[in-house]
Amino acid sequence: MDDRKVRNIGISAHIDSGKTTLTERILFYTKRIHAIHDVKGKDGVGATMDSMELEKERGITIASAATFCEWKEHEINIIDTPGHVDFTVEVERSLRVLDGAVLVLCSVGGVQSQSITVDQQMKRYKVPCIAFINKCDRSGANPSHVIDQLRLKLGHNALAIQIPIGLENNFQGVIDLISMKAVYFDGENGEDIRIEKIPDALTQEAIAKREELIDAASMFSDELTEAILEEKEIPEELIINALRIGTLARKITPVLIGSAYKNKGVQPLLDAVNQLLPCPSEMKNEALDMENDEKTVILSSRSEDPAVALAFKLEDGPYGQLTYIRVYQGSIAKGSTIVNARTGKKVKVGRVVRMHADQMEDMEAIPAGYIGALFGIDCASGDTFASPGIALTMSSMFVADPVISLSISPVDNQSQVNMSKALNRFTKEDPTFKTYVDDETKETIIEGMGELHLEVYVERMRREYGAEVETGNPRVAYRETITRKAEFNYTHKKQSGGSGQYGRVAGYMEPVTEAEFEFDNKITGGVIPTQFIPACEKGFRACMSKGPRMEFPVTGIRVVINDGASHSVDSSEMAFQAAARGAFLEAYAKARAVIHEPIMKVVVETPTEFQGSAMGLLNQRRGMIVGAQDDGPMCVIEAQVPLAEMFGFSTVLRSATQGQAQFTMEFALYKLVPQSIAEDLAEKMAKKKKGI
Amino acid sequence: MIMLKKDLITRHPLGIQGDETDIISNGEFGAVLSRAGVGKTALLVQLALNTMLRNRNVLHISLNDPVDKITLWYKELFNHLAQDHTVEEANQLWEFLLPHRFIMTFRVAGFSVPRLKERMADLTGQNIFHPDMVIIDGLKFDESTRECLADLKKFADEQSFHAWFSMHIHRDEEILKEGIPSPLPDVEDLFDVALQLQPEKTDIRIKPLKGPSEIISDLSHLTLDASSMLIK
Repeated sequence: MDDRKVRNIGISAHIDSGKTTLTERILFYTKRIHAIHDVKGKDGVGATMDSMELEKERGITIASAATFCEWKEHEINIIDTPGHVDFTVEVERSLRVLDGAVLVLCSVGGVQSQSITVDQQMKRYKVPCIAFINKCDRSGANPSHVIDQLRLKLGHNALAIQIPIGLENNFQGVIDLISMKAVYFDGENGEDIRIEKIPDALTQEAIAKREELIDAASMFSDELTEAILEEKEIPEELIINALRIGTLARKITPVLIGSAYKNKGVQPLLDAVNQLLPCPSEMKNEALDMENDEKTVILSSRSEDPAVALAFKLEDGPYGQLTYIRVYQGSIAKGSTIVNARTGKKVKVGRVVRMHADQMEDMEAIPAGYIGALFGIDCASGDTFASPGIALTMSSMFVADPVISLSISPVDNQSQVNMSKALNRFTKEDPTFKTYVDDETKETIIEGMGELHLEVYVERMRREYGAEVETGNPRVAYRETITRKAEFNYTHKKQSGGSGQYGRVAGYMEPVTEAEFEFDNKITGGVIPTQFIPACEKGFRACMSKGPRMEFPVTGIRVVINDGASHSVDSSEMAFQAAARGAFLEAYAKARAVIHEPIMKVVVETPTEFQGSAMGLLNQRRGMIVGAQDDGPMCVIEAQVPLAEMFGFSTVLRSATQGQAQFTMEFALYKLVPQSIAEDLAEKMAKKKKGI
Repeated sequence: MIMLKKDLITRHPLGIQGDETDIISNGEFGAVLSRAGVGKTALLVQLALNTMLRNRNVLHISLNDPVDKITLWYKELFNHLAQDHTVEEANQLWEFLLPHRFIMTFRVAGFSVPRLKERMADLTGQNIFHPDMVIIDGLKFDESTRECLADLKKFADEQSFHAWFSMHIHRDEEILKEGIPSPLPDVEDLFDVALQLQPEKTDIRIKPLKGPSEIISDLSHLTLDASSMLIK
């Protein structure tokens, strides 16, 4: 297979800029589907890409299904990326899988705050893109304004390669500035393309815009510059090649226009995908070498090399688990053996298929640069598969500990069953999402990286699995630790009647920053017999899960035992475990224990005029502002804010900035809780205890 | 903690003039001059750290680097400093220092005194941050800068802070006017202290060009360590 004819693209955009409709039209023109449905369809069928119920209902796309189609001998894989910023793990994962992207913008709304986030993510992963200004038929449509915004707000070197023929109600077609032809879209679904001479009224504008375009493109091609200087007819191919070089380097963003809903401008967009976006081997893909400190390794993209692939999406189908993979290097064939880099387990590849949302087609192998799906492979999304003997991973194995938890309880029996199914699935899909059952309250607890993160899963449980659950208040994952060294010398003794218990442990505990728990045995002369040392460690360790001060998990403690005593008959493992527990409590009380809380790195992006109010909001929330970055019309504020203060922040921020600011938040570090807050916490804890 | 801080201040080479005074006082300007890549930012950040150690607030304005990079400068130099002076519990000290610092970055073209006033008003108006010292790193000195500096000087007087600037000496323009490199002579009257960094064999010499005589003699024996960039 020729990978130069392959495109792995994402269609990335703000909610409601018509992304799913556009995808739908693409599938229709490439003959993957034979009828057109709308996102919020009256016919109840819904657009083909949105395969999850929740998405159908809300008209948004959460999961990134991959769809395959063909256009003019090119194979195009469309990864439907989530348009919502809060599903960051999924967005980032799908961005890794793409080689290029179509940035869809609404011709009325223009560049909105979420387009900015999506754009930044693309910048981070260096994804080349072209822009499509959609909805040119709507009243208020103004593509040239959107192009200006692309330049000013996103800093793209946006270059129109088309101009519209009419706008709003009168939007008829586009003028292709490269071929200098007018393009109209006839037939019931716009499938018949009619190419004509440019209308006289627009000739002047078209000539001027074409000059601008060629001028900008000539930066990337000496041949084109020469052709301009010689003032001869410039071949289309020359312009396209120059544009392609610029686009791949992310130096220019070609802009196309149209209206997917009115079936206009979609086919030229597909042509542009073929002509201007990269094929897999033109992109540099990196993996991490697990045997070499996670150093980055560049993958070769040759199909003959050992295979490396990323499982980027799991789906429960009627025939079991379907795993979407992108092969970066080598090829994954039916019957071959691959290793899951995370678990180290060997798997035999069964069926290999190519997906079109809900239908599939069997394949012999998935070569490098291609996207496909495997059947019956047990894995989590984000897992890397590689040929045996290759210790590469596509994503770091480091997973942050969750910082927030929520108790959930099912309302009835059916929900109970469905909830377990859902939780099982979610924990596989998302390594930052965890769940357990609280021993004391018997409640099911879910843990994650933020309020919204958990809300989305609760919502998905309802929609996809029919599990109605009631949720408790979100709880922040506080921790306890000690701040100074303290000694212990504790004797556990029960020698009145029956078989006795005896054990004495002595030593000290001290704070450590690098580890959660360390245990050091410095016993000499066998005062505690060797066989009981593990029991001591176990006893100490058992105390770590629930701190004596406020029942939060304890971290950062080193325990050293250097003395003790045993009894030839009465000493047992049990006795030493109990002695260790007693010793822990004894020392902990003296070690000046404190509470730590998770601090989030919060980055707010706001138009400059709201900078002051945004900083005020952060400041009110015990936030420490690290800095403010002035970037022309937008500015970026970076702050460290306790997670406990961040509940409901998105609403407050939105109302303070007329909805124009947005923020991202990630876990940064654990920090000491201020005295007053610690007292509040203690009070709450006391109340809760009384309540039980 | 207080002991820790005191320790670091008195042992810090810039702590020479006793605990409570800055090299320059409110409304005054200081300049650090050197060719590119010699260590202007490193010296400015140490001046800032020294000020922060004395519980005073530093507003660091950079026209070149993003916030992340500046944070890194501070962290690096602080770590070196803490190591050099074997400060225990450096982490805690760092946490105490951080609230005394605020970083602002502008694009070179986006920086102007009215703009800075607006940003500062955001901070002081809501009682978020009141700077005692302002660092302006990366300002270009040309014909129009004089006006900007004069405005700033007035502003510094009003808001009672002092400011330090980095001044880039261009290789081709190293024309000396009585030993003072360009672009300082054009704006010399506005500055109270000027220090030039000169790379020598192993270290970087801090050469005072201008200032009260006691400061000149205090500072003239100082150098920057070429590997750790610490003042010695």
